[in-house]
Amino acid sequence: MKIEDISKKTDQLIRIEQSDLMPLPYPYDNPEKNPPMKMLTQEQRDRYEASLDGVLAIGIPKPQSAAEEKTFIDKFLSGLAKLFTKENNWTFLQPLMHSLEYCVKCQLCNDSCPAYIASGKKEIYRPTFRPEVLRRIINKYLKKSPLSPPPSQGGPGGLWLKFTGSDIDLNWITVARLAELAYRCTLCRKCAQVCPLGVDNGLITHEIRKLFSQELGIAPKELHEQGTIQQLKVGSSTGLSPKALSNIISFMEDDIEEKTGKRIKIPVDKKGAEILLMHNAGEFISWPENPEAFAIIFDAAGIDWTLSSELVGYDAVNYGVWYDDIQLARIAIAHAETAKKLKVKKISVGECGHSHKAMIVVADRVLTGDLNIPRESALPLLEDLVCNERIKIDPNKNNFPVTLHDPCNMVRLMGIVEPQRKILRKICPQFIEMEPHGVENYCCGGGSGFAIMQSMNFPDWRSVISGRVKLKQILETFHDTISPEIKKYVCAPCSNCKGQIRELFNYYNVWEECGIFYGGLVELIVNAMVDIEKPFIDWEWH
Amino acid sequence: MPKVILGGTEIEIDEDGFIQEPGKWNKEVAVDLAKTENAFPMGEDHWKLVNYLRDYYLKYEIAPPIRMLVKQTGIDLKTIYQLFPGGPAKGACKIAGLPKPTGCV
Repeated sequence: MKIEDISKKTDQLIRIEQSDLMPLPYPYDNPEKNPPMKMLTQEQRDRYEASLDGVLAIGIPKPQSAAEEKTFIDKFLSGLAKLFTKENNWTFLQPLMHSLEYCVKCQLCNDSCPAYIASGKKEIYRPTFRPEVLRRIINKYLKKSPLSPPPSQGGPGGLWLKFTGSDIDLNWITVARLAELAYRCTLCRKCAQVCPLGVDNGLITHEIRKLFSQELGIAPKELHEQGTIQQLKVGSSTGLSPKALSNIISFMEDDIEEKTGKRIKIPVDKKGAEILLMHNAGEFISWPENPEAFAIIFDAAGIDWTLSSELVGYDAVNYGVWYDDIQLARIAIAHAETAKKLKVKKISVGECGHSHKAMIVVADRVLTGDLNIPRESALPLLEDLVCNERIKIDPNKNNFPVTLHDPCNMVRLMGIVEPQRKILRKICPQFIEMEPHGVENYCCGGGSGFAIMQSMNFPDWRSVISGRVKLKQILETFHDTISPEIKKYVCAPCSNCKGQIRELFNYYNVWEECGIFYGGLVELIVNAMVDIEKPFIDWEWH
Repeated sequence: MPKVILGGTEIEIDEDGFIQEPGKWNKEVAVDLAKTENAFPMGEDHWKLVNYLRDYYLKYEIAPPIRMLVKQTGIDLKTIYQLFPGGPAKGACKIAGLPKPTGCV
């Protein structure tokens, strides 16, 4: 398959066959026994452009007229040109230009891509495929166009001179396939890490997504309408309103009392608190034991903290970081304003990877003046509480095999590598690392919003392709204790990773066949606390 | 969005069969949805769960945490999966006429 094939009208560019996929270890070593991917119905194929790989993450409706098709292509081209102007893309212009310019196509990055290797090395998933499509479109259609930016910003005579290759046709199918293809990369940036020149093909994918969202209004509905827009309107991408939050917090207080015998008042909207703790609101709904565990630990250690009940302020998520700079800025500002209003000393982000990236790192480019409130990860604080014995721990309570999944945004992006490991070494006598780990980890396969994208057959793609390497790593780590009688725990301190691992485990029936459970970090800490008699981890809750 | 006949009424559903017009939900709609979710015929416990979800949704405009559902109805998770093979979110909530869960849940 060649780059230019993306423009050719074929039924489907690639087919995903079980026999091509990267083999899985025992007990999933017989490909015929593994569940096959769901196929799209004919009706879905007729309605949406599904000719990339027969999978739909966005589902772009087919154009109804030649005029509609032309408008679509024109908007794409003008949007592409805008990515190269300072006034329109001051946030990411420089790394975008460097990454497009410096790649020498050595392909060293290929084997770091979980989707590419899991698929049996399907050409379209290769990390260098998308950027090359972009370079050729720029070379052929933008270099001589009045849309091109000045030479100082890459235009004719500048960086764009270096782009060659005109084997591509800009038609409806090219553009629609490119949009879908931007949602076959989890933005894990392992390819950027192994690149000897620092080329960030993940960033290029991000820029393609941004172009489609900001210029053509195309983005997965789970990220945009039901994600960011719902968060701004209702308070949370989950649809959780302040009234429902209050109901769930009361439930959590009852639940804590039942589990620990102690009544804790969870502080909400406490003015002037040292720490405003922000959780991914999905935790309140799907894993309330996680915010419960934070409350138990902070209470035991005497931390001065609070939650917020302000719209947006109780949901740390910021999906804009995956697809749209404008939405990213709106949410980042709402988060900072919540902290400012409460007059807290700092924001601490709970176990949510992408909000670490959005709130702590990227928001630095958006928040100025008194909105630039100190923002940090909760992990170093937890390390201090556990390792300096500010809470009493009995590691024997966690005497089962435990491994650690490294969320890409906290670990590879931000370098928060050791706090969670120091905690696990202290509280889990059977802690073992998976390989590779730390900054060299593989993505869970649910990164960049994939874990929440549920449309049509995309969840199957996520379990069969993007999560495959993670499943393999987990099974290999527990190779010696793989029997379902031995209970094992994958610690994944990130809501998105947990959602993905839950779906992976359901898809392959991992609890029943291998006895592997998953959960966060704070649950393990509370499970080992001396003062809490009953086990906190509920193994039956898989 | 496709439209289908449920409980004798035409209702818009999404790609995964969740109804898009919550106001049109009634018991007959629930029974027809249960047929598509291998949860038919619906017994007492089916209705106990569906009614709890429905009431919670009308009050809070969201599905409750599954732990809350289990605690308040006294029906454990394993039984919920037996009653609704699609699970509490994709099975029971769908039959109760709730929208598909959104966000990192």
